Amino acid sequence: MPLTINRRIALILFVIAAIYLFLSFQLPNYPYAPVDADVIPKGLGILMIILSIALFFSKAIETEAEKEKRNIPKKELLVLLAVFAMIFLYILLFEIIGFVIMTAIFIFFCSWFLGYTKWKSNIIVSILFPLGMYVIFVFALGISLPKGILPI
Amino acid sequence: MNAFDGMITGFQVALSWEGILFVLIGVIVGTLIGMMPGLGPISAIAIMIPITYGMDPAPALVMMAGVYYGAVFGGSTSSILLNAPGISGTVATAFDGYPMAQQGKAGKALAIAAIASFFGGTVSVIMLMLLAPALSSVAISFGPPAYFALMLMGLTAISSLSEGSTIKAMIAAVAGVMVVTIGIDPQTGTQRFTFGNVNLFDGFDFLIIALGLFAIAEVCMLVLNRKNRSLSDDQKLGSLKVTRADLKEMSGPMTRQSFVGFILGVLPGAGATIASFISYIFEKRISKNPEEFGKGSIKGLAAPESSNNAATSGAFVPLLSLGIPGSGTTAVMLGAFLVLGVQPGPLLMTDRPEIFWGIIASMYLGNIFLLILNLPLIPYLAKILSIPRPLLISLVIMFSLIGVYSISFNVFDLYMLLVFGALGFAMRVFSFPAPPFILAFILGGMMEQAFRQSMTISNGNLAIFVNSPLPLSLILIALLSLVIPGLLKWRSRRKLANM
Repeated sequence: MPLTINRRIALILFVIAAIYLFLSFQLPNYPYAPVDADVIPKGLGILMIILSIALFFSKAIETEAEKEKRNIPKKELLVLLAVFAMIFLYILLFEIIGFVIMTAIFIFFCSWFLGYTKWKSNIIVSILFPLGMYVIFVFALGISLPKGILPI
Repeated sequence: MNAFDGMITGFQVALSWEGILFVLIGVIVGTLIGMMPGLGPISAIAIMIPITYGMDPAPALVMMAGVYYGAVFGGSTSSILLNAPGISGTVATAFDGYPMAQQGKAGKALAIAAIASFFGGTVSVIMLMLLAPALSSVAISFGPPAYFALMLMGLTAISSLSEGSTIKAMIAAVAGVMVVTIGIDPQTGTQRFTFGNVNLFDGFDFLIIALGLFAIAEVCMLVLNRKNRSLSDDQKLGSLKVTRADLKEMSGPMTRQSFVGFILGVLPGAGATIASFISYIFEKRISKNPEEFGKGSIKGLAAPESSNNAATSGAFVPLLSLGIPGSGTTAVMLGAFLVLGVQPGPLLMTDRPEIFWGIIASMYLGNIFLLILNLPLIPYLAKILSIPRPLLISLVIMFSLIGVYSISFNVFDLYMLLVFGALGFAMRVFSFPAPPFILAFILGGMMEQAFRQSMTISNGNLAIFVNSPLPLSLILIALLSLVIPGLLKWRSRRKLANM
């Protein structure tokens, strides 16, 4: 029995379901409810275990289209990883540096990194978009965004 | 209040300056986001939700509804011009719309799509106006067992109707309910799966899930396909003119498929995508010259376009009158209602008539706006398709981050957005459908509550779900909808083996 991609996913899901089920059994009792907080989670955990077993033994063969979807070149995955890293850095810093500056930096570098070569329009968008959003959110909607090191 | 008085109330909301303005904003934003290949109506609605914080519920929801049907209306443009469907509901539109565009009749194809969409949308709103109040007055007597059974049926329907493996769709749905159990249990106060982390006490806000699983995951797919062609500046649309003969040819499919689309929209699990495919096949089957389909047939273009728009309005029937969404997109719409403190359901019509009727009335107006936007203005609107992909990607990421930040001002939620974005991407790569997940996430909490209420009524006896006819038949339908597709597959496999 070859370990196809669906079988590997089924094994991972089985482990997750087992942990979830184990944690459901650790939930404390609350004596006054007809259905305690652990009933639904226990049911879900068992259901997920059954489904992961069903997926493991399912005879469905991966279609060509499904295989195609899975076939992502390594280089493209690295690009995606880099975009996630940029978002991570943005989240890490934007409360400190401020919304307007970090957003401008993010849009400019992310667009440039993904292959946008028109410098001028990139700079214009990276400056106007955060300013516009800041004005709409802070002044029109009354939702405050971190101003960071800018004095506005 | 009868439908006539109701519609007067509704038009007072829809035709106020606020109503007109927000319908217009909704349909424009919906059309633009719907046009972008890769960004669907769920992302469009989720991105717009933060804008509604603090707004009056009636105009806000009129706008959100406009975003939804505007996205379905606009999705056809990129199907026709680029052969890249703007949304999954307009995949079938490309079958005949793109060949027409290649024959130099892009303008005509866009015009036919717009007319068919307008027709389907409007016919469907009339039926929504008649059916929703009727269903509301029936549903008012439904108890918790019936509600639980209804939601269960919605989940099994979406699982069995999802593209690809039913097992994978069910896994997605169960995972969605699992995620909703994280946080403090509202009934007993027990902390479930929080690991003592304060940020998890309230569970995950649905906007984190919707934006992560859809907007961010769709952005990931855009990153992979960023070199696909966007609209070149010199592409000629050709004349937008539709002749009387064309209108005559499309009138049959348009009328039939508006009804088909509406019915499929009302039923749980189906929605615009399935409706458009069924309508396309339907018209091809009954056509005298089915060989024309796929080569730029007017009928083949009008059928899915009237059907998908009719399904969109049809999906508002269970949402408004039962408070139960039947698809991933309406699940996010329900989230938009709840954010504004409005609980849709049988009481909505009597308690908040201005919202119930206002949304319905605004749809007439919205469809007229969309017709104007998509007919004379389409050459200008289509310019948005030439926006460079890298810029589009960065901007959608920013919209999602701002959206999540403005719910809670909590950076933890932003990291969770990234986690669910990665999950949504992985689900797409490994062919797990995401709509059952979001529907299960929205329904999960409500289902648990309905289940416990039923158990409280019956003193813990599960028989309450099978003792009265309504819950019993709903649960039977739910089970059958899971078993029948499997049996059909098994039979056809046996037939093959015997041959």
